[in-house]
Amino acid sequence: MTLDFTPILPFMIVAGAALALLVLDLFWPVRLKWLTPLLAAASLLAALVVELGQANYLRAGLSNMVIIDNFSVFANAIFICSGIAAIALAYDYIQRTGINHGEYYVLMLFSISGMLLMSTAADLIIVFLALELLSVPLYVLTGFARPRLDSEEAALKYFLLGAFSSGVLLYGIALLYGATSYTSLHGILSAVSRGTADMPLVVVGAAFLLVGVAFKGGVVPFHMWAPDVYQGAPTSVTGFMSVGAKAAGFVALLRIFVVAFPPVAVELTSVMNFLASLTMLIGNIAAIGQRNIKRMLAYSGIAQAGYMLMAFVPFGNKAIINDSVASMIFYLAVYAIASFGAWAVVVAVEQAEGRGLDIDDYAGLGRRYPLLGVAMLIFMLSFIGLPPTLGFWGKFYLFRSVIEGNYIVLALVGMLASLISAYYYLRVVVMMFLHDGANITVRRNWLLSGLVGVSALAVLLLGLMPGPLFQMAADALLRL
Amino acid sequence: MEPGVILEWVIKSVVILISMTAGFAYTTWYERKVLAKMQVRIGPNRAGPFALLQPVADGIKLIFKEELVPAEADKLIFNLAPVITVIPALIVTAVVPWGGVLDINGFKLSLALTDTNLAILYIMTVTSISVYGITLAGWSSNNKYAMLGGLRATAQMISYELALGLSLVGPVLVAGTMSLGKIVEMQQGGWFILFQPVAAIIYFIAIIAEVNRAPFDMPEAEQELTAGYHTEYSGMKFALFFMAEYAKMVAVSMIGATVFLGGYLGPFLDIAPWLGPVWLWVKVAVLLFVFIWIRATSPRIRYDRLMAFGWKILFPLALANVLVTAVVVAFMGGK
Amino acid sequence: MVNEFLPIGVLIILAVALAIVVPTLGYLFGPRRYVPAKSRPYESGMTPFGPGTRRVSVRYYMIAVLFILFDVEVVFFLPWAVVFKELGVPALIEMGLFALVVVVGLVYAWKKGALEWE
Repeated sequence: MTLDFTPILPFMIVAGAALALLVLDLFWPVRLKWLTPLLAAASLLAALVVELGQANYLRAGLSNMVIIDNFSVFANAIFICSGIAAIALAYDYIQRTGINHGEYYVLMLFSISGMLLMSTAADLIIVFLALELLSVPLYVLTGFARPRLDSEEAALKYFLLGAFSSGVLLYGIALLYGATSYTSLHGILSAVSRGTADMPLVVVGAAFLLVGVAFKGGVVPFHMWAPDVYQGAPTSVTGFMSVGAKAAGFVALLRIFVVAFPPVAVELTSVMNFLASLTMLIGNIAAIGQRNIKRMLAYSGIAQAGYMLMAFVPFGNKAIINDSVASMIFYLAVYAIASFGAWAVVVAVEQAEGRGLDIDDYAGLGRRYPLLGVAMLIFMLSFIGLPPTLGFWGKFYLFRSVIEGNYIVLALVGMLASLISAYYYLRVVVMMFLHDGANITVRRNWLLSGLVGVSALAVLLLGLMPGPLFQMAADALLRL
Repeated sequence: MEPGVILEWVIKSVVILISMTAGFAYTTWYERKVLAKMQVRIGPNRAGPFALLQPVADGIKLIFKEELVPAEADKLIFNLAPVITVIPALIVTAVVPWGGVLDINGFKLSLALTDTNLAILYIMTVTSISVYGITLAGWSSNNKYAMLGGLRATAQMISYELALGLSLVGPVLVAGTMSLGKIVEMQQGGWFILFQPVAAIIYFIAIIAEVNRAPFDMPEAEQELTAGYHTEYSGMKFALFFMAEYAKMVAVSMIGATVFLGGYLGPFLDIAPWLGPVWLWVKVAVLLFVFIWIRATSPRIRYDRLMAFGWKILFPLALANVLVTAVVVAFMGGK
Repeated sequence: MVNEFLPIGVLIILAVALAIVVPTLGYLFGPRRYVPAKSRPYESGMTPFGPGTRRVSVRYYMIAVLFILFDVEVVFFLPWAVVFKELGVPALIEMGLFALVVVVGLVYAWKKGALEWE
């Protein structure tokens, strides 16, 4: 028995920092409370450095239960950056809403550590472990604004459905184990290709796995919890959740399906196809009717999950799967950047006691705060997928790989859904620039402004030259 | 499987059951006698020589007592609770070896019902079942005192179960097995109380709380809770709770003697292997005496202190003991 | 393997039989003289008031949750202890990490006052 923790070193750093901060935060006096977010961010930076240092460092570790490759490095870099962004998002917000407890950052770190483990998981046991590690802190964070009823309600809903979906996922794992007598992805693949596996059971198990992760990722028809939870959770948590939790689920799912399940592609491709189309359409159509910006972004997030799911559809096709993976993970990065920018705007506009969350409250903001308005315009354009923003390239590569895989109808559905989405995304911008409205004072906070500014610049500049980022995504190959 | 083997199992099982029930009966007698001596009283002295028939008389009396069921009690659970409580106490010693192998005219008789390599796990599993009986008894009685007593008992038992479980990890680490038979054999070089003194002390404190004995008899604190979880029980159902408590005392003493005090080991065992059970029961009697002694001398401790002691002192201490033991075992290269 | 547990099965059957026979004896031989007052809850002679089962202090739930948390850990310790000598120092490090997480949990619960009984 040998111990080699290097493959999960970033995970160890983040989880260790979370443990240390949990205790330190209890013991140091109130005037040192500002150290907690600072140290949390520092630990994330350290993890980022280690993670990037592991690029092109392909190896499996811990009895082959985890594996690092460029795919996991790329995904983890997104997670860690989104963690840093989430801290910037939260710092001012939780102070002014009176929920400034050190546990906020600790739970966030735990959740991120779950994500980091998730993208490296080469064994279904680790997938489950990581999924729980990432979700359980999110349940608590959702209910963090505790005496507020909608926060408590959201936490309970999220917890119950999350626990249920974990059950489904675990059942899928159990079925796969029963069918193949392996929980490792390689083992499952080899059992299937040797023909020793019970194929109907493998299909059912894979489907259960898909449903379990689809629940977490808010894929239609398992999305019903998402709008309520996104609305009830503290806004800074919602921002974190809409990127991190969703992305981590998909990253794990992608690895599982691409590595272990090509043999069942015949059965499951059409299911994926159907789910992706449904998610894009329902998410975008339901978003039109929303008056609350958090709900609108929640439905938008569901729709974006649909786009990401498109990349899964050709998972059985060896010829184009690399393109597909690259476009999906590129899209993930694009979505994360624009999403954090948009959520930072929402956090900045939100007023005490939940005011300033209706889309009507945005009326006139663009004229009084031109920079904020322009930034929001950029994020919305990126969500729609219009040039010159990064979102355009995200959708471009995604649709290209789908068309390459000969799923023309799916690509058309995606285009149609994007068209629909233009209406509600642009409505926010129209509201900001072309309407007069209540005089809402936007919070001025250098962290939030910085987050908005950096995201907007990134969306624009990377949109002008997406090559390097896409090249990185294209290098982020899954290793078998 | 030949019928002889099954017959052997049945006979051994009956011996265990009889010894547990007799152990229960004569522990009450033993306790009353010892308490009386310690309090300079005479104690029971009427029924038979040395009042040896006293437990029998008590049992017969209870059979002829009326059994009451409170009107609003949950009847099924109320009747089931004492049964659930007593069964674990009767079966927990199944894995304890009473001796080595006897050779009776060529017939090899092992003085153990079974020797499983999951013995310690079995003990922990079974002892935790009895918590259900007590909780259910308190809850189903529809009586404030019973419910409070049941809750207190539950909270106390689960709190001390942690320390109890961890205190057994130390000996398992030293022995490298969970089988009690092997643990006893390993103690030929020295009882585990010598290698694991901290674990032994934690074990003995935790089992006092586990069987709700003084000074941790909060669940039955007469002054505030009348009789705790069995307030509403009378007749033979009460007898079952009584039996469970004393049988558990005997059982945990037997397990403690086996894990820490060398079990059936003792002098002259190689000449006369039948001495094994004798040595075991002598050790059990000594431990029971300690139980009674503590009851006679120490006052009941307050409930918040009881919980604080369990969680803040005993549990961390047990954890530290396990880790220190592990470090020592690792660096001694496994004895 | 199964053989090790069959004798315990025999013992359990006999113990269940005993545990059922004993209250049946009381049922058969005990007198039954019903008086309404006998079936009222016993409160040391006072007239009982209010429901017998009522809301339970949240402390008990807290203890139960903490117990589950730490009991799982104890269960993890046992198989580890059995194979510890074969695995040696790596197992020590791994269990040390595990115990560290648990201890942090205990410190947190302690400092937050979950162990206070007020």
